[in-house]
Amino acid sequence: MTYVVGYSPHKDDTCALELACELARSEADAVHALTVVPQGWEATTASQHDKDFVHWARTEGEASAAEAFAALERHPDVAGSASWVTARSVPAALVDQARKLEASILVVGSGLHGPVGRVTVTSKTDRLLHSSEIPVAIAPREYRPSRESRITRVTLAFRDDDATWRLLDRVADICRRTNARIRLVTVTIKHRAMLQAGVSGAEDLVFEELSRAARAGQREAVDHLVENGFAGSELETVVAKGRSWADALDGVHWTSGDLLVVGSSSTHPLATVFLGSSAAKIVRAAVVPVIVVP
Amino acid sequence: MASLTGSQPSLGEQLRRRKPIVFQHHHHTGEELARELSTFELMMFGVGATIGTGIFFVLGEAVPKAGPAVLVSFLIAGIAAGLSALCYAELASAIPVSGSTYSYAYHAMGELVAVVIAGCVLLEYGVATGAVAVGWSGYFNELLSELFGWQLPEALSVSPIPGTDGEPTGGLINLPAVVLVLLCMLLLIRGASESAKVNAIMVVIKLVVLTIFAVLGFSAFNADHFSNFFGEGFTGVSAAAGTIFFSFIGLDAVATAGEEVKNPQKAVPRAIIGALTIVSGMYLAVAAAGLAAKPVSFFEDSDNAEAGLALILKDITGNEIWSTILAAGAVISIFSVTLVTLYGQTRILFAIGRDGMIPRKFLEVNPKTMTPVFNTVVVSIVVALIGGFVPSDYLWDTVSIGTLMAFSVVAIGIMILRRTHPDLERPFKIPGYPVTPILTVAVCLYIMWGLAAITWIIFLSWIALVLLVYFLYGRHHATLNTYRDPEEIAEPRGRRGDVEEDVDL
Repeated sequence: MTYVVGYSPHKDDTCALELACELARSEADAVHALTVVPQGWEATTASQHDKDFVHWARTEGEASAAEAFAALERHPDVAGSASWVTARSVPAALVDQARKLEASILVVGSGLHGPVGRVTVTSKTDRLLHSSEIPVAIAPREYRPSRESRITRVTLAFRDDDATWRLLDRVADICRRTNARIRLVTVTIKHRAMLQAGVSGAEDLVFEELSRAARAGQREAVDHLVENGFAGSELETVVAKGRSWADALDGVHWTSGDLLVVGSSSTHPLATVFLGSSAAKIVRAAVVPVIVVP
Repeated sequence: MASLTGSQPSLGEQLRRRKPIVFQHHHHTGEELARELSTFELMMFGVGATIGTGIFFVLGEAVPKAGPAVLVSFLIAGIAAGLSALCYAELASAIPVSGSTYSYAYHAMGELVAVVIAGCVLLEYGVATGAVAVGWSGYFNELLSELFGWQLPEALSVSPIPGTDGEPTGGLINLPAVVLVLLCMLLLIRGASESAKVNAIMVVIKLVVLTIFAVLGFSAFNADHFSNFFGEGFTGVSAAAGTIFFSFIGLDAVATAGEEVKNPQKAVPRAIIGALTIVSGMYLAVAAAGLAAKPVSFFEDSDNAEAGLALILKDITGNEIWSTILAAGAVISIFSVTLVTLYGQTRILFAIGRDGMIPRKFLEVNPKTMTPVFNTVVVSIVVALIGGFVPSDYLWDTVSIGTLMAFSVVAIGIMILRRTHPDLERPFKIPGYPVTPILTVAVCLYIMWGLAAITWIIFLSWIALVLLVYFLYGRHHATLNTYRDPEEIAEPRGRRGDVEEDVDL
């Protein structure tokens, strides 16, 4: 299995490559950096300017692949390779190549317009999330783990529904392979009460019940994991509470070696990644690498 | 407190047992404590919660009962509402639990009284939401007709059940009312909430359109309309007060929001009296303007009942602009009232569910939307059926009787608590004890006594049904039957200490 990295030249941020190497190191897998350059026209024009363009694209692709390969060589413990392709659409090419290479995860970086250290979903990544059949990992901007860094803890955004329960087993598999700990985080939001309704503490009631259900769901998940051979002491649970998603997630503690896994929409009928509203909010607030699983 | 040991209590003990007041003492580090309302904002909540559909509608119901003396009925209803709100404020401050009158009754007067009050409160909120939706439908249709010269046919805008006059209505379903309730349901499921800012905007819209009405109404002043002032006698006055009381409901919101204010002892009565003054002043102005412009016989005609204020404006100005503005203001502001009342109903049912009186299904909070979806859907369907099929004549009085009963119990409750728990911390104490609560009970009973027999029949049948459900289900599933640890039944309260674990708010 391979990690395919979408590598773009001139971006001056190798966060995606760094994340891929960290993941590969944890699972002893290979990393393949892929650059997508624009495709020329199929018909030639009289002036042959299009050939100049194709030539330029090829030069760009080769330079970029070389650059990516050089970056990968800084990680001697990871089997790295790099290549380039031409295509009209970057996300489509990534999905296509990932299928050909039988990749297990597609790794991309964050946009340059977002803050450093945060995950920002670019328009290309957004398109990728809509069409990828395999998990997509997104590195925070300028993500720089240390050379030997491995994934030590996988945090699953856990919501007690069928979709996240299916995800739980997949995460358990990954953690078993990589020897990482599992942490379950459930976000609970306290809505604003309508004070003019004449019911005191109306949202306290609902919030209390929501938190109770969240804790019960997590307990059930922990029992399930323990049954499947995990030591109870290696499992962490957190109920993140707040008035907004950002507020709730601010209270969750993160360290290096952390990885956040979120499921895509639980309602979408297609088995493709399609970010649900909750998942999108979690991803936007993330300060560690995120894997979005379809 | 009643004994709450492990063994099953006898029926008598169970009916009398009170839910203990358990304070949760956790450290609170969150920013929630920072949330402080000013007296003015609290007053605006009171005004916003009180001026609802009632005044847009109630003249058509109340004027035929009392004649011009309806002005006196407004005063009586206002006094009853003000006194009740003050009593409510003391109870809400003494028992800092989540919920409404029902929860306070459970703590102060035991399970049986709590169940009866639960019935009253469910009737109050559920039927009020239905009634408000019916009122909205009338103004919505009026607005359609004024803007586009077209309105929904009678079959789709009027309930099929004949009103109190017994005449067939020609309607099948009140579709706008049903659609409105279902729209509010979707908003509530998504977790929508009306903020203080939106509340203030709604208050302004209501006050502006009512002021327009009062000013224009007085411009057509005819002193003859006030002749034979007490023509209907005091029976008529008290009957009308019962109907009008409906339009004062909501003043108690000041009491429940009072915990969010800095100095409740000063702020709560000021906010209640301030809100009451604004609301009563507005209502009296509107009623007097209506009477000044139109004779009593105008209000007796049932054709003029729907969107009544807009019709009066159209008649006296001969111009559709003012009535269009009024109808538009009513459509916008009544929409927000429906949302808020429907919300209140779901949360009260939630509080009842936490005590185990109704199936746990009502407590399920959807993990995606983080709102009680099942509860909201069931409540909305019932309310939509009420709004779609029951004419408003029956609804207003039913709401009034439920609320008056609940308020009487509140007033009795504070007298009981003062005796049984004299040391209880009361951030707000009513002035003039024990005269105020006794007067409250007296005024409430006086108004209830004036209500029609049919209202009493509907009310008592409903309470009987609630008691039946209690004896068949609630009695066996009450949370108090099984609890061991006081924390299990402790109420979550934002102010006195939020439940804190894992991650702070």
